[in-house]
Order: sequence, then structure tokens, then C-alpha cells
Amino acid sequence: MKKIYIINILVIVIGVGLLLSASKDMTSYSTFGMAIDTGKRVKVVGELLKDKAMVYDPEVNPNEFSFYLVDSEGQNNRVVLNKAKPQDFEMSEQVVVTGKMESGVFEADEVLMKCPSKYKDEEINLRNQG
Amino acid sequence: MASIQYIGETLWPGHLGHICIILSFVSALFTALAAFMHLKQKSTQTQDWGRLSRLSYSLHAVATFTLIALIFFIMGNSMYEYSYVHEQVSDELPMKYIFSAFWAGQEGSFLLWMFWHAVLGMIFVFKNDKWTPQILFSLGLIEAFLASMLLGIHIPLMGEEYKIGSNPTLLIRDVIDAPIFATADYLTLIEGKGLNPLLQNYWMTIHPPVLFLGFASTAIPFSFAIGSLLTRDYQSWLVTGLKWALFSAFILGTGILMGAAWAYEALTFGGYWAWDPVENASLVPWIIIVAGVHTNLIARNTGYSIRTTYAFYLLTFILIVYSTFLTRSGILGETSAHAFTEMGLEWQLVAFISFFIFQSLYYYLTRRSSIPTKVKEEAFTSREFWMLIGSLVLFFSATLITVSTSLPVYNTVREAVWEPGFIGKVIEDPIEHYNKYQLWIAVFIALLSGTSQFLRYGARNWDSYRKKFALHIGISLLIAAVASYPLYLTFNDRLWQHLALTFAGVFAISSNLDYLISILKGNIKAGAAVMSHLGFGILIFGTLYSGLNKEAITKDPFAQAGITKSQKLNTNVTLIKDSPIPVNNYWIEYQGDTIEGNLKKFDLTFTKVDDKNKKLEEFTVRPSAIYDTKFSKISAWNPDTKHYWNKDIFTSISGYPKHLNSVDSMRVMEDTMIWEPMRLALMESDSIKDFTGQFMGFTFSPKQKAINLDSVDLAIGAIMKFEHPRMDSVFTAEPALVLKDGLVYQHPVTIDPLGMRVALDESIFDKVFTEENDLDYQDIQLKEGETKRINGTSITLTGFDKQVEAKRYQAEKGDIAIAGILKVIDEKTGKQYSSEPIYILRQNKQFSIKDYIAEAGLHIRFNKIDPTSQTMTFSIAKEERDLSYVDLNIAPEVPRSDIIAIESLVFPGINLVWLGTCMMLLGLLMGLIVRFKHT
Repeated sequence: MKKIYIINILVIVIGVGLLLSASKDMTSYSTFGMAIDTGKRVKVVGELLKDKAMVYDPEVNPNEFSFYLVDSEGQNNRVVLNKAKPQDFEMSEQVVVTGKMESGVFEADEVLMKCPSKYKDEEINLRNQG
Repeated sequence: MASIQYIGETLWPGHLGHICIILSFVSALFTALAAFMHLKQKSTQTQDWGRLSRLSYSLHAVATFTLIALIFFIMGNSMYEYSYVHEQVSDELPMKYIFSAFWAGQEGSFLLWMFWHAVLGMIFVFKNDKWTPQILFSLGLIEAFLASMLLGIHIPLMGEEYKIGSNPTLLIRDVIDAPIFATADYLTLIEGKGLNPLLQNYWMTIHPPVLFLGFASTAIPFSFAIGSLLTRDYQSWLVTGLKWALFSAFILGTGILMGAAWAYEALTFGGYWAWDPVENASLVPWIIIVAGVHTNLIARNTGYSIRTTYAFYLLTFILIVYSTFLTRSGILGETSAHAFTEMGLEWQLVAFISFFIFQSLYYYLTRRSSIPTKVKEEAFTSREFWMLIGSLVLFFSATLITVSTSLPVYNTVREAVWEPGFIGKVIEDPIEHYNKYQLWIAVFIALLSGTSQFLRYGARNWDSYRKKFALHIGISLLIAAVASYPLYLTFNDRLWQHLALTFAGVFAISSNLDYLISILKGNIKAGAAVMSHLGFGILIFGTLYSGLNKEAITKDPFAQAGITKSQKLNTNVTLIKDSPIPVNNYWIEYQGDTIEGNLKKFDLTFTKVDDKNKKLEEFTVRPSAIYDTKFSKISAWNPDTKHYWNKDIFTSISGYPKHLNSVDSMRVMEDTMIWEPMRLALMESDSIKDFTGQFMGFTFSPKQKAINLDSVDLAIGAIMKFEHPRMDSVFTAEPALVLKDGLVYQHPVTIDPLGMRVALDESIFDKVFTEENDLDYQDIQLKEGETKRINGTSITLTGFDKQVEAKRYQAEKGDIAIAGILKVIDEKTGKQYSSEPIYILRQNKQFSIKDYIAEAGLHIRFNKIDPTSQTMTFSIAKEERDLSYVDLNIAPEVPRSDIIAIESLVFPGINLVWLGTCMMLLGLLMGLIVRFKHT
């Protein structure tokens, strides 16, 4: 057998092995309910509740931003992000937070926003009058 | 609505644009057909098809260039009747960003891509050599697919409407159905939306053209591969193909590097590479084309690996199309920070990629057995063997990245095809995931890049060369073993994998330097590969050193000292204007801000001190807020970087008081402010919340920056002192009211440290100032130099001014105007004032314009001149005032406006990353130049 075939087989075996081990890095979007049950670090995808308070006050704590999110099962929960408020956060609809539940509050250290592209709206920009 | 005659529209660019799109599509398709017919011809007697294909491609290029010019024309002239113009530009957008605006939209970026294909194709049209029909065949097909993205045809099929392409020259009223289009002059009512301020910078001007040239250039090796498979001419293209592959790898690499530099410098992602799917999507084709360059070198020098070269070049272009699919179909969803949103062309993109996958597979599989190979396999000690291994490692790397990046595609397909309701998986921590695997790829590549250079093609004279080889590699291994451990100790975060990678990186550097010196004898011209591999070694070390030693200057000093038991990162600190705070080795002070254009720049001074508080270094950085074009809202933040040769200090603003973010939020804050009334007697103090206020008296010339008093304006302010029991300082404030042009303006004062705002109650105005009708004037007669007393005031007429120039007097023709100059002394206070009431004789009627001494409350008129007795009649009224108390309104809880939160990070050794990357690219460029000189 040619050396290159042996190497090819080797590469494929390693590749499949790596992919199997990489599946540990994969996770499904979780819910607040599951976060409470497992107590583990999870990713929750949810919709931002815009009528509830979004608090970021650099005067009090520049590393704390809190808001409310409703998850796919309809449960809403307060989320405290241990970072500054991302720019244009209010404009996002779907939000993905990574963290864990601690005494009823979801403590997140990462947040990803899905903004409806500001420049994609089917609307007409009117000229400023006056 | 069709019957409306719209006013002001320019319609011809739309018509012409539509023609250009169709022409561009049809001519591209015909080019491919003609080129195909030419390639299929058995005899070479007739050149007709070949000529037709060149003609057709030229027509395609002209149509494409015209279309691009047209779009620039309608954008440059702000023709908002066109949807694309309305989306991308606005009146305020500076002309220098017109290029950025052009390719910020999907249609524009497709056109940019087509532009480069057209340019590259025209090079072959003009060269008109053996390869021209082969290249035009594939380019024609590719361009036809791209042009179809602009067609804008809607096809109803089985009750649904399918869209083919999106035409950038459509009128807005054909795209959106809105009531405004019932007005014939709707154009006067609309404005463009303008370019996202984040994209208004020079990177957006230069990065996309380079990246898209990189994309377009991968089509050339692809075209060579398809064309040579089609004509079964498997070997002669390898020389020219290599040049184009080198060109492509160089340009695409440069495009990616620019993207990384942009991410590092402008977009606050905290680094140059985040393994975002959009970044991966352009990195993967680059890795494959670099692998292709290596196998192409093998093929050209030894005849091995021709099939592999084919596979890599075909794959590179397919991956480019796949990256287009990923970034433009919206499939990445929330996994990417900067993908386009969907535009309804998903199936067309799938057709695009499927076509080229099937075409590549078809030609490759039907020709595979006839592609020449060597019977004898590569020797274990030959260069070609290890180069091939290296290429396979690169391929392996690309596969891993692609599989991980494609997870959203897998989720979508699985959900749609065999498991409705499937909840997709995501990578929990993408950066860690990719780094973990790619680290080992880098180890292999670094080791191979050093070793295989010392080997010879065909293992020539191995028996006599063996010792020399072992010696060189042995020395480099020894250097790596000795040097890597101390280097490893410089990392803040140490894992054994990091040591392994450091070892490999140092080995790559030392072995390549050794090769340059001892084998190439310092001949850098022959050292293209050395340059690239050396660069890779440096890049590896730079990545490790900067990534592992990155740290925040703005760490919570209390957390570090163990005062708060916070486990959190806390990399933001809040700065109060003019109050320096200590952080990790520095004092940072927020000194103020200035407006420059649509930027508000914040001056932040960093002072480094040693243990004895001796100043070591001081510098200022100026991160800024970018306002939107109407200055009504902050739309983005620009960080600022202080560069050193060995590190960068990167400062960004992470928090700003909410009410300062936009005009609207400021209004909300002011509307919801709660005011409490407060009456204070002179010198009396009272407390509200946790501070006390004291009234020190009134002033008629209040000192506030915003107050610009004219001689005719009236102003009153209260001199206030505020104190807080827990603060040493006393805050003075002069809240004021100003009467300007008949309107009373409030000038409240905010005292940020107390979080309060104080305003004068408007009733004060009426209380202090008496209206003319309520004044009680008394006449006095004065001669020049004479003094008289009236109402506790002594008045002296010191002289006259016959050239009256005062704002309260508007001269008319024929006027005689004289001002009396009076010296007025308030006997109670002893204060002396000067007053100039004006007497006017206008058309034989006497007028007077009064002078008002606000502080003394004196109204003085100059009524009559008796020329015979030289006596002047003045009339004087003194206001009855009670200045013994003040009415104030106090808002005791006002958010501070003098604070910002910042994050400041140090990236040590970042320049090694840039140096290494640039050397890798330079190596590719050198290889290209050397090959051009040899032909």
C-alpha cells in the first residue's frame, strides 16, 4: 500500500475523532427553566422585553447591565450582564445570553444580539421639514 | 397610481441600467457558449467561435462598467427616486464615502465582484493566447450567475412568487408600496437613509475592493483547472496557473489582513480575529489556495500531485461561492456579528454553488483516470512528499473550520429535511473551540515548513546529503528546545500546548533563517518560501504572546487587592471629569471633550507612576463618539490606540450616561425630572436631600458659559453655594433667567457631583423688573457738569455723545440723536454707574430711548433739550424691589453628565502578528515577481 494512502486513512481517522470530540463544544440553546434545573452554564436565546427596565448606570457600576428576556417557552427572567451595555442594545430583538442562574437572576458574561438591520427596513426616509 | 405624472424624477438611468443588466447577463452567457464551442472544435482552422467569445466578453465588460458608472451617477446626484440610492446615501454623506456606500449594499458588492472578473477577463481577451478561451468559458459562466443576481425578475410559480435577482436600478416606488407615492412631488419629501456611520471610514473604502479582487482572482486558477480538464491538456497550464494562484493568494490574503486590521482598529471586537463565520468564510479558501500553490509547485517540479492541484483549485473557488452563500443568505443567523441579512435570493445562491460543484465534479471524475500520475511513489526523504503532507494538513485545517462554521447550515437542513422542530446546536465558545484545534495545525505546519525546505525534490543524493540535513535540523531543534521555554515563561496564561506551539514556532524561525543563510547564502531573492515560512513562525509567536498576555489596564483595583471578592472580569471603570483614578499602574483622568465634525472626542490622560509616585510617562488618547448625520444620536464609538514598538494600548468607551446618547433620551430625562420649590432668604441656608444650599445674593451679570448677553438683554442670576457634608468642596452656581428678544430663557445649573440641578423660578423676573407702565418717573433738569440728588441717587451730567451708536437705537435718515452721559451714584451702596439715555429728534418729534441700570433698578430717560437755557430734562424712575429672598426650583436627583465608563486593554507584541502576516504575504508576492521575471 502506498504511504499516501496510509496517511490519508490516518488523516480521516484523526478527523473523525476530532469531530466527535468537538461535539462536546456544541450545545443547544437552552431555556431559563433548564438553567434553573441544571444550574450549569448555558446559552439562552430569547426575546428582549422592551417595556421592562433596562438598567445601565456607569455611575453605580460600569460592569453591570440588566434587562429582561423572555425565552422560547415564554418564561421571562431578569438577566444581569457583567459587562457594559452594548451599543444599540435597545434595538435588538433576539438576544443570546451565556451564563448561569444564580438565585433567580440569570448571570451572563456574554451576550450576542441579533439586530434587525437598521438599513434594511422597508420604509421611506422622509425629509426633515423645517 | 399609474396615471400620476411624477415630478422631478430622472428615469433614463433606470432604463439604461436595466438594459445593461440584461446585456451583461446575456453576453456573459454567450461568452461561455462561444468559448465552449471553440474548445470543443477538433480543428483549429476556424477561429470564429474564439473571436466571438472575446467580442462577447468585451461587450459584457462594457455593459458591466456602464452599469457601475450609472449607479455612481445616480448616487452622486442623490437621485432618491432610486431605491438603491435611497438606501445607501443621504444629503449629509460626504462624497468621499460614495465608494463605501456603493458596495455597502448587496447589489453593489455583487457588482464590485463582477467588476474584477470583467477586468481579469479582459486581460485574457487582450492577451489572446492559448488560455483565453478556457478562461473565458468559466468566467462567462460565473459572470452570468452573478449578473443573474441583479436581474430582478419575478416569476410566479405554483401560487408563489419567486424572485430572480435584485435590480439596483429600480425606482423606489416600484419597490415599496406606500401612500406617499400618491403625491406627484413625493421626491421633495424624501431623503436618503445614508451609510451606517460605522462604515464611514477609510477601511470601508479600501478593504472591500481588495477582498473582492481576491475573491475574483480565485476564479482564474479555477478556470485553468476546468479548461484544461475539458481539453484534456493536463500539464501545460501548471506554470501559468501557479502565477495566478500566487497572485490570488497574495491579494486574498491582503484582503483578509485588512479585515483583521479593521476589526482590530475600528470595530470594538477586542481583537483582530474572532473566528466569526464571516471571517472564517474568507480564510478557508485562502488556506486551500495556499495548499494548491504547494501542490502546484510539486506538480511543476516533479510531476507528482497534479490531481491534488486540480482538486485544490476547484475547491478554492467553490469555497468562495460557499462563503458568499453563508454571508448573504442570512443562514448564519445569530452566530455572526456581521453577515448580511437575507434578500430573498437564497435559492439562487444554492443554484450558483450547486452548479459549480457539479461542474467541477463532472470534469474531475470523468478525467481523473487520464490525469498523468507517476507509478513510483514519492520517496520518504523527498521534498515533494513532505510538501504534500503539509498541503494535506492545510486541507485538514480548512475542513475543520468549514465543518464548524457550517453548523447553522446543518441545523437548517436537518430541521427542514428530516427532523422538523429540531433545535439547532451552536458552538458554546467559538474562539476556544477553533483555537484548540487550529493550534495543532499550526504546530504541524511550522515543523513541516522548516524541515521540508532542507529536503530536495526527488530526494536527490540523499545518501550523501543525509548527514548535512540531520545537522541543520538538529541545530534548529536544539535552538527551539533551548529558546522556547524562557519564551513560554513570558506568557501569563501557560498551558503545555502553548509550549508545544512556541517550540514549533521557534523551530520554524530558526530553521528558515538557517536555510536562508547556509543554503541560499543570503540570496533573499530566491527566498520567497523562506520569507513566508519565517513570517508564519513569527505570526505564531506573536499570536501566542499577544493573545495570552492581553490584559486590562482598567481592572477593578479593589478586586485585585482582594477588597471585593468579585470573580468577575470587571474590565470597565467609570471616570468622573477632572478626577483622576488609579488603575493597574496608571492614573487615568477624563479631562473633557471636544466636537470635531460628527465626532465627540474625549480627552483621556494616562499617567504612569512608579512606587514612589514619580511620574514615568504620560500620554493622551482620544476615543470618540460618532454621531449620526443629523447629530441627534450617537451611532457608534471609535476606540483610540496608543502604539508602542512592543505593545498597543487600546482604549474604548464602554458606557455613557443614557440621557446623553441622543436628543430624544435627553428630552425624556428632562421631561421626567422632578422639581421641588425652595425659598431662601438672603444668606440663609436650607437643606434638601443630603446637601444644603445657601443664597448669597442676586447678580445682574450671571457668569455662565451658555449666556451671551447683549447690551439690550436683561439677565438676573442668583449666586448660590451648595455643600455636601461628606465632600470637602463648596459648589457655587449662578442659575439665571435671561430676557432676549422678548423671550425669557431659563439657564439652570447642574452640579454633577451632587447629582442636582437648580433653576431660578420665573416669577423672579416680574418681581425684580417693573414694567414700563408701572414705573413712576420723576423729572429733573440738569445742565452740563451739574449734579442733583433724587430718590437716594446722585446724578451728574458729564457730557454728550453726538455720534450715538447703540444697539437699542436704530438710526433713520434725518434723525438727530444725542446721548447724555450721566454719572450715577447709588448712595445706599456707594456704587457708581455710567448711563447714556438717548434723545432723538425725528421729523420734528421728540423721542427718548431709555437706559436701564439693572443692578440699581434705575430707568433713565432723556426727554427734552432746551437750547436757550442749555438745560436738559431727564426723567428717572427707581424700582421698588425686594431682593431679600429668592425662589428656586431644585431637581435633587439628576443623572450625572460628567462621567464615562472606559475599558483599556494592552496588547503586547501585536506588531509581531502584523509583521509575521505581512512577511507571509510578501513571500507570496516575491514568488509571483520571480516567476514573472523568468518568463
